Amino acid sequence: MKSPAEDPEPLRPHSYDGIQEYDKRLPNWWLFTLYGAIVYAIGYWVLFHQFEIGMEPGLAVEITMRENQQTATRNASILSDELLWKLSRDPQIVAAGKTTYDNMCASCHLPTLAGQIGPNLIDEFWLHGGHPLAVVRTINEGVVPKGMIAWASVLGQEKIKEVTAYILSYHREGEPVQQAPPWVPGQIAPPASAGH
Amino acid sequence: METPTLDSVTTIRDDGSRRMLHPADVRGRFTRWRAIFGWLLLAVYAGLPWIPVNGNPAVFLDVAHRQFHLFGLTFVMQDLWVAFFLISGVGFSLFYVTALLGRVWCGWACPQTVYLDVVRRIERLFEGDAMAQERLDRSAWTLEKTLRRGGKQFAFFLFSAALSHVFLCYYVSPAGLLAMMHGPPREHWGSFVFVFLMTGAMWFNFAWFREQFCIVLCPYGRLQSALIDNDSLVIGYDANRGEPRGRKGTAGAGDCVDCLRCVKVCPTGIDIRQGLQMECIGCAACIDACDEVMTKLDRPRGLVRYDSLHGFAGKVRRILRPRLILYTGLLLLGAAAMTYALSTLRPVTVSLTRVRGTPYVLAAEEVRNQFLLRILNKRNAPQTFTVTISDGPPTLRWSGTEGGVLVGPLGEEMRSIVVTTSREEGHGTFPLNVRVHSVEHRTVIETIVPFIGPGY
Repeated sequence: MKSPAEDPEPLRPHSYDGIQEYDKRLPNWWLFTLYGAIVYAIGYWVLFHQFEIGMEPGLAVEITMRENQQTATRNASILSDELLWKLSRDPQIVAAGKTTYDNMCASCHLPTLAGQIGPNLIDEFWLHGGHPLAVVRTINEGVVPKGMIAWASVLGQEKIKEVTAYILSYHREGEPVQQAPPWVPGQIAPPASAGH
Repeated sequence: METPTLDSVTTIRDDGSRRMLHPADVRGRFTRWRAIFGWLLLAVYAGLPWIPVNGNPAVFLDVAHRQFHLFGLTFVMQDLWVAFFLISGVGFSLFYVTALLGRVWCGWACPQTVYLDVVRRIERLFEGDAMAQERLDRSAWTLEKTLRRGGKQFAFFLFSAALSHVFLCYYVSPAGLLAMMHGPPREHWGSFVFVFLMTGAMWFNFAWFREQFCIVLCPYGRLQSALIDNDSLVIGYDANRGEPRGRKGTAGAGDCVDCLRCVKVCPTGIDIRQGLQMECIGCAACIDACDEVMTKLDRPRGLVRYDSLHGFAGKVRRILRPRLILYTGLLLLGAAAMTYALSTLRPVTVSLTRVRGTPYVLAAEEVRNQFLLRILNKRNAPQTFTVTISDGPPTLRWSGTEGGVLVGPLGEEMRSIVVTTSREEGHGTFPLNVRVHSVEHRTVIETIVPFIGPGY
């Protein structure tokens, strides 16, 4: 490349629509941005790709997400009957569960839990198992043909845990559990056998 | 001084280094009006966050809480789509103004121009006029030069810092900014670094970059050749009247006495007499400069003036032309669309979805459909909603929203709604008209969902 000093009229050879261009030097500050970008790219490459001193932002997000998922799975899998019974005596958890229950469940099971469209939740008769983990499973997976939807994707594990604790707060650990006959919607619920 | 040529940019030397301009002082009607207008714009910029409207600053883009307060209206993220009309409208208005008035935005209202006017005033305060500035450039580093330069840079820094803090105000409100300024930076690193970087960038702009922004970086400047035509308002030199140049009294000479005043005052270093140029930001300094000289020479003002290219060529300037009529129509259309969009914004977002699983449940004498209702309150105060379902058969009943739904400020509530009808009436599919009524705002959101029964 000739410097402008050697050639006072550095005209480019091409001509489009009769328009020709000079070949002037770029502003130095403009070139510095180019050199700066090259230096930055080298630094980036060394940091993230060659020696992996830093973690690539996209990868960092993925790893954090996987960690969160693992934590969530761990938290969910440590659910046990004992823990759920313990939660059912925690007033804060039970109050949170009541809010969710009143908003989402009461339309079928009534605010009194005595059942109407869906079955009674406070007597000793259970349709799908009467121990705490069975209740969690029923809420999670639902009983789709009967109209009980799978709530896992709607409520999430935390809320399902709270709702279970709320239902259990009407029961006692070790109380008798009996298999219930099929529930007929709208039937008059027998008087509650257990409660607060 | 070097005379500008059309071959290259005056501010970049042949070796690529920067030539700092020292535009000379100018007085005149446009300079005065631009100064008044500039201070007004700065006052508006600094003042808007301080004016409360409906309990919030007039402009408060509360990114942290995902809500945007504009002159008393509150938008939440769900309303963000109207920003399309706002941004495209601003862009199109710029097109419109350019077709009509050329680069009047650049010369009168662009923040870069308004800020640089203040910056040049500060420079004049510390270093004197253009001649003195050039002398100072060439002089050795004495105590005086150090003090003048240091004082100027410190003033630039203060100005940059003030502008950056005002900018942050738009996002955190003045009260939020005050709280941050009283707390240690580690409690708000993001904002601290942002203001730090912005102050630095502005200081660099004021101390060194200046007109390079307009000449090289600004995309609007680059679009000029496509946006203006021969009838757009531009600043230019009346060659018919001015040429040939010559001293007063020279036989056959035009009105231009080649005093170079118009070149000396130009903030981008061009010679307006070479015609319309990309670098011209339309600041009108050359008009005032030339008018002053013409007045002294007892010649009429306006050798350099606001006019159209047609006007400078001695033809008639047409204001109404197809391009402008088309632009006006499109602008009105866009304004109408935006007005309509704003008028459809509701203080609430409602979504009603069928639950996953079976479309309907048969139980004894009944058919049931289940829905999930989500209500999002987009206002800063709690709202109560009542839900009614109509258009169904007589046996239609529903449960799930007894006693209304109370949704907290900017909160979201979900309800499970069960709709039941008898087996006889629940055949096939029929529409349900669900009305969600905000008690506080008297707004009604209507949604139609189908009820699905056997044999649909």
